[in-house]
Amino acid sequence: MNTQFKMVVAVLAALLIAVTGVGCSGSGSGESTGDVAEPYRIGAVVSLTGTYAGLGTPEKNAIEMEMKRLNDAGGVNGRQVEVIFEDDATDPAKAQAAVARLIEQEDVIAIIGATGTGQTMALRDDIDRAAIPQVSMAGGSVITAEFDELVFQTPWPNRTVVPFTLRQLKERGLTNVAVISDTGGYGKDGHDIIVAQAAAAGVKIIADETFNPGDTDMMAQLTKIKSASPDVVLMWNAGKEAAIVAKNLKQLGMDVPLVGSPGNGRREFIEGAADAAEGFQFAAGKILVPEAYGVDTPAYDVATAFISDYTKAYDVAPDIFAGHAYDAFLVVTDALSRIEGDATPAALRDAIEQTSGLVGIGGTFTYGPQDHNGLTEADLVFYRVEGNEWVLAK
Amino acid sequence: MSARYGLDRAIARVAPVLIVALVAAVPLLTDDRYLFKVLTFVGLNVIVVTGLALLFGYAGQISLGHAAFFGIGAYSVGYLTATRALPWLAAVAIGVALASVVGLLLSLPMLRLKGHYLAMATLAFSEILGVFFVEASAITGGNDGLRGIPFPSVGPFKIATPGASYLLVWGVAIIVVVLASNLVRTRPGRALRAVHGTELGAQACGIDTGRLRVQVFTLSAGLAGLAGALYAGVVGFVSPTTFSLEFSVLLVAMVVLGGTGSITGPVVACVALTLLPYIDALVPGLPRDAVAFLQDWEADISGIVMIGVLLFAPGGVAGMLRRSRRAGDAS
Repeated sequence: MNTQFKMVVAVLAALLIAVTGVGCSGSGSGESTGDVAEPYRIGAVVSLTGTYAGLGTPEKNAIEMEMKRLNDAGGVNGRQVEVIFEDDATDPAKAQAAVARLIEQEDVIAIIGATGTGQTMALRDDIDRAAIPQVSMAGGSVITAEFDELVFQTPWPNRTVVPFTLRQLKERGLTNVAVISDTGGYGKDGHDIIVAQAAAAGVKIIADETFNPGDTDMMAQLTKIKSASPDVVLMWNAGKEAAIVAKNLKQLGMDVPLVGSPGNGRREFIEGAADAAEGFQFAAGKILVPEAYGVDTPAYDVATAFISDYTKAYDVAPDIFAGHAYDAFLVVTDALSRIEGDATPAALRDAIEQTSGLVGIGGTFTYGPQDHNGLTEADLVFYRVEGNEWVLAK
Repeated sequence: MSARYGLDRAIARVAPVLIVALVAAVPLLTDDRYLFKVLTFVGLNVIVVTGLALLFGYAGQISLGHAAFFGIGAYSVGYLTATRALPWLAAVAIGVALASVVGLLLSLPMLRLKGHYLAMATLAFSEILGVFFVEASAITGGNDGLRGIPFPSVGPFKIATPGASYLLVWGVAIIVVVLASNLVRTRPGRALRAVHGTELGAQACGIDTGRLRVQVFTLSAGLAGLAGALYAGVVGFVSPTTFSLEFSVLLVAMVVLGGTGSITGPVVACVALTLLPYIDALVPGLPRDAVAFLQDWEADISGIVMIGVLLFAPGGVAGMLRRSRRAGDAS
């Protein structure tokens, strides 16, 4: 009995010490944020694993590279910039947990992310509760269509890309369109806009199939599409499943062009689909073939400098996702540099909204109180895969 | 033997008071919102693990489908409060009831199954529900999940801060643990242990084992549903990947680690395993690389610990507690 009592008391004491320890050090870290020499802390939620790993990894690379370059040059307003990365594993629930950690524990003044549309939307409640600005690297229209004054976006949203892509199809006489899209945020978002815009663009949707992120075989959906004999298969997703669609299409012996989304402008797609990627077409920004910016324009200079730095650092040319991340980091740090006085999240949000004529990789950004996307169709070109390389489609 | 029961009774009398005091003391000692969130997750898992300890630790019935029951509770509250604007308390009641009913219906055909077959059946159930959560997108929001779930509220009283959520979840968790501890000390608890030991023997003693198995499975599913129902309101966001097989396995691992025939053991193991990936909340100043390593290898560490426990301490945490108690008695 006596031993028992001693043990219980000991356990209670140990727990109490642990808890008080936490309390003390918790308040300690709170005090230190007032220090002037402290770096600006920015949180980044990226997909380093899961189906968007091929997007999140170049995003992290680009941000780390730019952060180092900026800090070596003296930082912003004489303060260093520190980006704290969290991997969301392409999982909305993990993205939500990650942003909670960044906000509650790391005391960040802004969030860059997420990589995916579904993950980006999953952060919103926490962003709103904490009232800190967010710059997303995902292309779903819903991110800025469900308008939130705290949320900005660097890629061209589907509501810009889809009409552009449909017009390209129409111009090529590919009017009987079979759509295959994934059920995740970006695919669903693109799908809904394709369906809504098809009639206006003068194309007809004759088949409409979906698959789930993580699926490993799309033969069933493509067989149905084949029986509808479309002129073109329009695929809308950003995950690694795109390569499977291309391969399945080839296995079925379908001799129709495959057209995709900007989300497919990634090395993994060409590597994964191998010869099935040949002839694949999609709309995206100009980074993949920088001459498209027009040689000797400011955009061309920014893009070629980024391409050369990135290639030197990582032995591979940057893709559009590295560009989205470069832009997101640029938007946040540019806004920080324009803040006079305390860099509070509210001041930073206002500064981001006042971004004007900022030359990035995806295009030239001008945000406004109603426009948190900042890009237009003029920033897009149509690509084609030839000999495992991206070329401008004529 | 009698000494042990005496000690158990003493512990049982003191422990709840200590735990309540400790749980209530945390908000006085810290205002770290992140710590509250982490401890809230611990509390939610404690509720599920208590139910699973009754099912697996006492009755010896394995379930690899508890994440799915958790999901039923979470989606019910998410859908009913966010889309249907039902009062939170009513939504929680419906969520728990739904999880219990599904548990009841599932347990009826499973009466014929034991061991691996039972595990397979619950695994299949979990997979079916996983597909349902993704495909029934009108209710569940599909892959992207359900956003904008309001905070728990009872009338004008709203539980909107991490500290209040923590108290809510732990308040429920303590009630659940106390009730479960009482249950296992009474006749149904002894009946459960009898079923675990030898079902035939239990039948010979006049226990309606079929009915008992259905009851304990329903109760356990209901508790998982309760935890899910609380999760939805506290987190405000529900998505299908949370209710994966991985979570079910982790829950079973907590009970195995905790040891069979005990509530305390699994609860202790649950607290430890849930805190593992969030160690930075408890030990501030830990290098970020170390935390990232723990998070990346969370499943592997849990697995290795589980293998270690099975090899070197098959009784789990409960076994170790009992052994130390016996050593104490001997001296």
